[in-house]
Order: sequence, then structure tokens, then C-alpha cells
Amino acid sequence: MIDQLFGFLSFYIPEVISILLMTTLLVAESSVKDEHAPRTKIHVYTQVVLGIVLITLFQNLGEKPVQIFHNAVTIDPFSTLMKIIMVIGTMGAVFISHSSKDIYSNLKSEFSIMAVGVLIGGMLLASANNMLTFYLGIETLSILSYVMSSLKREDASSTEAGMKYALYGGLSAGIALFGISHLYGVFGSIQFNDIVGQVAGLQGTDLAITLVASVLFFVGVGYKISVFPFHMWTPDVYQGSPIPVTAFFGIVPKMAGLAALVRISFVFLSAGSALTVSWVGLILVIAAMTMTVGNVTAIGQSSVKRMLAFSSIGHVGLMILGVVVMNEAGVKAILFYGLVYMFMTLIAFYITSHLSDMYGSDSYDVFRGLVYKHPVMAIIMAGVLFSLAGIPPFSGFVAKFNIFAVVIEQKHYGIAIVAAINSVIALYYYMKLAKTMIFGQASGEEKVVGFTSLNQAVIIALFIPVLFLGIFWESAMTMAGNAAIFIK
Amino acid sequence: MMSLVSYLIISLILFIVGLVVIIARKNIVAILLGIELILNAAALNFVAYSRYVTNNLDGHVFSLFIIVIAAAESAIGLAIVIRFFQIKETIHIDEATQLRN
Repeated sequence: MIDQLFGFLSFYIPEVISILLMTTLLVAESSVKDEHAPRTKIHVYTQVVLGIVLITLFQNLGEKPVQIFHNAVTIDPFSTLMKIIMVIGTMGAVFISHSSKDIYSNLKSEFSIMAVGVLIGGMLLASANNMLTFYLGIETLSILSYVMSSLKREDASSTEAGMKYALYGGLSAGIALFGISHLYGVFGSIQFNDIVGQVAGLQGTDLAITLVASVLFFVGVGYKISVFPFHMWTPDVYQGSPIPVTAFFGIVPKMAGLAALVRISFVFLSAGSALTVSWVGLILVIAAMTMTVGNVTAIGQSSVKRMLAFSSIGHVGLMILGVVVMNEAGVKAILFYGLVYMFMTLIAFYITSHLSDMYGSDSYDVFRGLVYKHPVMAIIMAGVLFSLAGIPPFSGFVAKFNIFAVVIEQKHYGIAIVAAINSVIALYYYMKLAKTMIFGQASGEEKVVGFTSLNQAVIIALFIPVLFLGIFWESAMTMAGNAAIFIK
Repeated sequence: MMSLVSYLIISLILFIVGLVVIIARKNIVAILLGIELILNAAALNFVAYSRYVTNNLDGHVFSLFIIVIAAAESAIGLAIVIRFFQIKETIHIDEATQLRN
């Protein structure tokens, strides 16, 4: 028994290290004497330990898929790759938080603690293999996110963002839980393994209950990845939260929710039944609405942070199209998109964070004439915007292309046209910002200061994947290709 | 005689009452109460299904977890509401208008 437990733990090392990191960070913060001292040591410690987590995750990537803790948790290459994306996202967000003025210095290590906590929840959610771990993961993720978004305690908008997030989050988690309870009644088990085999044989009342219950279930996930009609909280929360938190929310909870969506879709749909048709129809409609609402609303925004929030809704709408095809190509496309999206989001928020700290605003005006003020920053930001818009040779193009390819292969032509139109809309507002940066006249002669060579090195290091995954995407796809999903 | 259906009807009523409270009431504490009602409706479902249908302990365990998580969630929710009250001096949801474009 004990031997078996330790055998299981060897697959669970990344999570165990993260939990230890979170607890040691709590102790480390309580030993800091000067409240306003910079938390350099704590941040370096966080980055180093997260680096170790990353290494252990890469080791897990080569292992065979396995289900541990009485089949409660699946460790498969798919979930491991999602966790890698989340860990890199967390490292980036912690790095942004170190120099950000948007988070007060006495709260900086609290940010790290919460971020690692959300990461643990996300890891649990990405490899959840029964309803209980799913629910625990989504709640660990959510409850800490509420605190993170209201991190600026004295600030009215940050508190309001946290409150809205908590209310929307509590409601949607409750609705999802109500759906889960009925699924438990129908299938007689909370294990995904037991449910997979039973879905095809559903009939009559059971089928009707399952249909309604899985729509309720979808609410919980849909809210986490902020798809239409559960996206209402996203712009408000993104605008109210400090910028490092916004960058973090754009990556970790979204990727975790996406991983959960892929897994439950495979559980409920792999057999093929009346449920499959309605689920695919539901996701198609939701994806189309999500893309359109996200992109159209992004046009009218005057704050860059809010624009990035709406554009992330648009990106999620495109990403969940990889779910409807229900094959490995779709999963690969989602993983690749997630990887690229993570790098692009980090850079965009990094630069926005620095500029908004400097000018005290995140409107389009602070980007005006950036190319004269700080060429490196402007060129990289322009590259990221081109990549986000999906222009070759940047990796954003390949990511979008993969999604289009799998969708068209399955003959969903209608949604492909909607997605294409949305790409054009997205092109407009990204290029608007790029035009402001490159052709706009700077109001003064002043240069952007304080962007040290370390910051530049990090930003260039983050930009390299954006550039080269677009050209040498074969190797990344092979890595993602082995990351097949594992459902017993 | 209580049967499964009576439990399910009670939990459905709890769920709907919770939703109505969330939509109709403007007091943030009342909205948090509505969320609690929804969570309890789900917990009741789990226990009822466990007793009458599945005959395993999954539902009982799940309902215990729901109670714990509901407590954590309302603790965080109330803490944020207190911050909101200290800043705005009201807990009326319509006063949360800072974040509009």
C-alpha cells in the first residue's frame, strides 16, 4: 500500500514541488522585516523552484500515460504539456510583477504565493480524471483568483473586479456542480473512466437528464475560459486587476479550463451518440459567438489592457474549435495554439505593464511613437501584434492555420468562414495599435527609461519562440503530437 | 415516505430559489447567500443519489467536499465585500460601477 503510494507520487513530483514552494513562500514572506523592501530574493527563489518544476514536467513528458491515486488523476503527455505552458506563464507573470508598480511592494510576495496556488489548481484541473478532482481544481483555481484580482486593497476598481469575479465565479461553479450532481445520479459514478463506456448506451430519461446536466456542467468550464455568454466578467476583471495579474489570468486559468474542456469532451463524446451531436453543435455556436463578440467589442476599446482582454476572448473562441473535431489533430492544434498564445500574451502584457507604470495610463496614446522612444520594445511589440493577428511568418499564423486545417478537414465550412471574417476584424484593431506605435508622432522627445538590459533580454528570449515556432514549427508539432490525450 | 423524487424536487426548488435570489436581490451579501443555496442544492442531490441510486460513498464524500469549499468561498467573498464596503460605504450591487468602458 505504502509502496504503491510512493510509486504514484513519483509521477506527481511537479505538483508536490509546487505545493512545497507555496508553503515555503508563506514562511519566507513572514520573515521579511522591512515591509517595503524589494522582494528580489523571494522572486529569484520562486523562479528557480518553478524552473525545477519545469524540468520535472519535461521528464514526465516521455513517460507512458498513467492514472494515479485510484484513477483520480491522469498523467498523460497532453496534461503535462498544458502544465508546461501554465508553469512558463506563471514564471513570466512573476517576472512582470517584480518590476511592476501596479502591485505595491508589500504585496509582491503575496502575488507569488497566490500565483503558485492558482498554478496548483490549474495542474489539478488539467489532469483531473473524476468529477471531484475536477471540481477541486476549478475551485482552487477560482478562489485564489478572486483574491488576486482584488490585490490592490485600497483601490476601488481592483476591489470591484475581485467582487464581480467572486460573484460570477461562485454562481457558475454552483451551476456546474448542480449539473455534476445529476451526472452522478445517471452514471452512478464520478469517475471519468466509468462514464466513458456508458455514454453511448444512454436512452430515454437518462439521456434527457444528461443533456441538460452537461449543458450546466459546461457553464463551469465556459466561465473559466470566458466564452460567450459567460464572458461578461472578463473585461471588467482584466481592467480592474493589476497588470501582472491580468497577464496571469490571460494564461493560466484559460489553459487549465481549456485542458478540462478537452478532457470532458473526450469523455462524453468519444463514443458517439445523441449527446455528441448536441455537444458539437453547442460548441460550434458558442465558438462563433465568442469570436465575434470578442473581436467586435475589441475594436471600440480605448484601453490597451481592455483591448487585450477582448482579443483573448476572440482567441479562446478560435481555440475551442479544436475541440469540435474530436480527434488528435484537434488536440494538437489546441496545444500548439496555447503555447504560442502564452508567449504572445506575456510579451504584450509585459510591454503594456512597463508603459503604463511609466505614464500612469494604458490608453493607446502611451504607445504613440513608441518606435522613436524605444525601438527594441516597439519592434517586438509590433511583431507580437502581427503574430496575434495571424500574419506569416510569425507563429500566430501557424497556430491559426492548424485550427483552420482541422476544422475544414471535418467539413465545418460555415464556422471556418466565421473564423476567417473574425481574423480580418482582429487584423484591424491589432494594426491600429501597430500604426499608432510606428507612424504616430510622440508627444515629447522623452525616451522610455528603466527598461533594463535584463528586461530586454527576457523579452527577446520570449520573442524567439514567437518568431521561430512560425518557421520551424515541425519540431514543436512533433512534441505536441506525442502529447496525445489519454482516456481509458 | 420520502423517495428520490421528493429529494430531487426539494433540491430543484433550492436551486431555483438561489438563482432568483442572485438575480433579484441587489444586496451583495444576499447574493452570496443565493450562491450558498445553489451549492447546498447540489450537495443534497449528491446525498440523495448516493442513498437511493448508486449505493456507493462517492456522493457522500463529494457533499463533504462541497461544504468545505463553500465555506472557503464565502470566507473569501465576504472578505472582498468588506473591502468593498470600506471603500464605497455600501453593499448595493448597483454601486459597483467603477469598471465601465
